[in-house]
Amino acid sequence: MQHLDHERLVFLALGESEADNGESTHLDTCEPCRHEIATLRHVAGLGAGTQDLRDLPDPPEHVWQGIVAEIRAAEELPSIAEQRRATSAVERAAPPVEVLTGGPSSTAGVKKGPFLARVPRWAATVGTAVAAAVLGVVGTLAVLNVTGTGPEPEPQREVLASAPLSAYGSTPPEANGEARVFDNGRLHLHVANLPDVSGYYEVWLINPGTMEMFSVGVLGGADDELLPLPPNVDLEAYSVVDVSAEAYDNNTAHSGDSLLRGTLTG
Amino acid sequence: MGATVGHAPRKSSRPVTGLRQAPDPPDDDLAARFRDGDEQALREAYDRYGRAVLHLAGSTLANRSDAEDVTQATFVAAWLGRETFDPAKGSLLGWLLGIGRRKVIDRLRASARESRVVETVRQLPDPAPAGPNPDTVVDRLVVADELARLPEDQRRMLELAFFDDLTHQQISTVTGVPLGTVKSHIRRGMQSLKRRWEVDGAAPGPRAAGLSGTR
Repeated sequence: MQHLDHERLVFLALGESEADNGESTHLDTCEPCRHEIATLRHVAGLGAGTQDLRDLPDPPEHVWQGIVAEIRAAEELPSIAEQRRATSAVERAAPPVEVLTGGPSSTAGVKKGPFLARVPRWAATVGTAVAAAVLGVVGTLAVLNVTGTGPEPEPQREVLASAPLSAYGSTPPEANGEARVFDNGRLHLHVANLPDVSGYYEVWLINPGTMEMFSVGVLGGADDELLPLPPNVDLEAYSVVDVSAEAYDNNTAHSGDSLLRGTLTG
Repeated sequence: MGATVGHAPRKSSRPVTGLRQAPDPPDDDLAARFRDGDEQALREAYDRYGRAVLHLAGSTLANRSDAEDVTQATFVAAWLGRETFDPAKGSLLGWLLGIGRRKVIDRLRASARESRVVETVRQLPDPAPAGPNPDTVVDRLVVADELARLPEDQRRMLELAFFDDLTHQQISTVTGVPLGTVKSHIRRGMQSLKRRWEVDGAAPGPRAAGLSGTR
């Protein structure tokens, strides 16, 4: 049997006319025609619901400013996802290696508009100054008033390097933390306001030059964690502390979902 | 006789959605420049589609600042992941709304977890305000955008049918356009809306309406 005219299907869907006997008979047995009518009817329903979308309000200005700020921050350090794509791109097509090396050249080829013009690296300078101040004031400090759950009480330790951790990517900005490396080869992490995740949190050290990384361990339930570092780790190279959200998915690699990041100085 | 009928022609010539900006270059040009990392294209995409993304987030999330966060995160994620955008598979708007939709669903889940905890503590039933389904909001935005892109005649006829609930005969009378022409505009307009919805809508895709696979 011949299908109904498309025009008939549209008008039946819009309720513009009733199916006559022959059409009803056909529709009773023809799934494609029935499906088309149902789809058209659904789309018409969506169309009728668009009237109040005529004058949507503009987002407030701070949303745009937040976008710019976040993108600038992200471009300071190529994201792991980007790195992963770049790697697979290399495997496919072997583009120039500087794609991988982070830093300013990682955004080579990006046309800079007026609003995303690269800011001077004042942030890094300020970070260093703050870290130095922390070092100067604290010098040695009592580690962790560990509350039962943590590792054994530590004597006073010297801080070799530290990093303020701040929310990365789309992580809620109130998430933050601090990382310190002690002279006994332990990494102390303090975290606050981490978003809820279905899996667990994992701590990584990343070499921002190559985006190579290794896992330091996972965070327990407390806000403080003390994790051992490999004795021969090169903290000059692996200078970025990263806390990621991981799933129980039998995949030991970084999920690409970074929650906190910071750069060790000191 | 047209003039004697009760329905005065509506002033409906204004573009139907706030999604449309007056003199715009073709969308594929914007999409391509966005993908190539032209930062001016990011601003243009935001000017054109920021309202739609905010509407998606704002109509599905109870908290205003959550909605703004999701809008911000959507554009940041889109920009940083622009290499994964394939203009051949859908429009830039459809892609942005897809990202926004996943972020909305993540938020909804997180707050559902929180309210489960609260509920357990308080032993109270959860009167979670059931906002509109994000998929439906995405679908409406996509259809609205397509409606705004239709040729003027098709758009006008469909608006009269959708918004004013006029029959085709009434539309013909109100507009003075012959009935056969009205029908043909409506048929072609409907065909375009349907095609766009199939490409960019949230529901018809392989990911269906379920909440799985968003992370």
